[in-house]
Amino acid sequence: MATERHRGLSDQLLAHIETVYDRLEHYGFVPTLTNGIALLFVIWTLFPVYWMVAGSLRTRRELLATPPKLVSTVVTIANYPELFIQRPAFYQFLFNSVVVTVGSTAIAVLFGTAATYGFVNYEFPYDLGRFHLPFLILTTRFLPPIVTVIPLYVIFDTVGLLNTRVGLILAYAAFNIPFVVWMLKGFFAELPDSIVEAAVLDGHTEIGAFFKIVLPMVRPGLIAATIFTIINAWNELMFAVILTSNTQTQTLPVALATFKTAYTIQWELLTVAGTIAMAPVLVFAFLVRKKLLRGFTMGAVR
Amino acid sequence: MAHRIESADGREAAILWLEDHLRWILTLPALGLLAAFFVYPIGRALMLSMYEFSTSGKQFVGVANYAEILTAGAFWHSLWVTGKFMLFAVSFEVVLGIGIAFVLNGHVRFRGLVQTIGIVPLVISPTVVALLWQLMYQNGGVMDFIVGPLTNGPVPWLSDPSIALYSLVLPDVWQMTPLVTLIVLAGLQSVPDHVEEAAMIDGAGRIRRLIDVTLPYIKELIVLVLILRVVGTMRVFAKVFVLTRGGPAKSTEVVSMAMYREAFAYGNYGRASTMALLLLVIALGITYAFARLSEVEF
Repeated sequence: MATERHRGLSDQLLAHIETVYDRLEHYGFVPTLTNGIALLFVIWTLFPVYWMVAGSLRTRRELLATPPKLVSTVVTIANYPELFIQRPAFYQFLFNSVVVTVGSTAIAVLFGTAATYGFVNYEFPYDLGRFHLPFLILTTRFLPPIVTVIPLYVIFDTVGLLNTRVGLILAYAAFNIPFVVWMLKGFFAELPDSIVEAAVLDGHTEIGAFFKIVLPMVRPGLIAATIFTIINAWNELMFAVILTSNTQTQTLPVALATFKTAYTIQWELLTVAGTIAMAPVLVFAFLVRKKLLRGFTMGAVR
Repeated sequence: MAHRIESADGREAAILWLEDHLRWILTLPALGLLAAFFVYPIGRALMLSMYEFSTSGKQFVGVANYAEILTAGAFWHSLWVTGKFMLFAVSFEVVLGIGIAFVLNGHVRFRGLVQTIGIVPLVISPTVVALLWQLMYQNGGVMDFIVGPLTNGPVPWLSDPSIALYSLVLPDVWQMTPLVTLIVLAGLQSVPDHVEEAAMIDGAGRIRRLIDVTLPYIKELIVLVLILRVVGTMRVFAKVFVLTRGGPAKSTEVVSMAMYREAFAYGNYGRASTMALLLLVIALGITYAFARLSEVEF
């Protein structure tokens, strides 16, 4: 009885919502409503970014004005050179970020691509390649990184990797290999088995066939995986903050997170630093916007 | 001449050897790195967790760290804070994200552009996201201006223990709602038109169609998004580190912040490792539970 009544109620409610929706549609409100919500979403998403970029082009007085000024009266780029004059270490932070990002991306993509190709194309004992290893690699993705970074600090301390860019490069490479493998898995699995065989019959070695025929075919996936790794490495804070502690090795996110001085925040400079940290990833992300979702979902969304 | 042939044989033999072992040559570098940075540290954490660290060195204490952490309140407090953060952030992200996905799946102009804009917060470093919001949380800044009509005077966004956690939830919702939207939208657009049409011809109302036709198509994606966000909020660090460092009055002391403090402010790597392992067990439990509940194949 109770469930029947419940069902009646929910059906009534559904019917009611239907009527409201039909009426909205009848008067032509639906497109207005959906476009309105979409516009709100766009404003809500872009405003904080606009606020920082616009802030970097303002004077301090205007940047922190109360009430806030939506549009600048004066646009100035003076804050940009000022950041590097007042904090020359930012050259070093930028350099470190670039080195660590390029190094870790190179290793992660190289090792990750090779491993994916191996898992997909070769037999392994105990179905290691087909099932267990991809699953294990996925599991690493679900580990909270703080779990490994504390023992890693102690390990790095004993092997001398603490406060080195090499240490960060290796750590980031290891953390991005799972992404690379999962982003590429689908691409490699879609290749027909006969491709390598045909190439070998044509006189290529198996290794030659991989470079000349297989790699070009998975290029879109490779580019997306590379850019995804670049973004991850460029953005990472926790490992960098724990494993490095001097300006010689610290990266941009660390510099941003520890920018505050004891008394105030120099927002006119911090907005510049933040904009510099944002710009490259936005450009890279735009280049592969269609494929990026694959990375965020570990390959679950094409 | 003979010498040349011999060396050619040697080269061929080398290639043969390479190709015989290719599967290991291809996979071992990656596996080695993963072992060094995931498996070994966890093993090392197990060892560390049985030591007490102090200025005079380290001392073996067995399971004392575990007993201490599980009976004292600090670890539970940080779990509670993380849980609250997770609950609020994930609820808002999933509900808002799915809602916006349905809207964008309807009649919307420039849908492609809106989708591209949705990627923007996702690729910005959490560190920078925290700064974006810190700027807007400034005394008399944008956020005060927006809520101005509802409050008297500036809101202590980050310095009031009863507000600070929600001020951390907001940037996370800002950054991660588009992820939910983009994933669900991708699912919605994969529903074949003819299936919808068939249901419409059968006379199914709009909402019946949504529940019986569309939902099954995106159910797995919703579970995936839930897993991603639960795991994601469990590891939140950068936003807390930049905005509050766990304060005020430990009101935003999430697990990763508590562990960071234990290890790097107090130098007690043993206790921090113990907390890490307890967190690992919880994380694996949650992931396993989701995987079982959803029967989603990975």
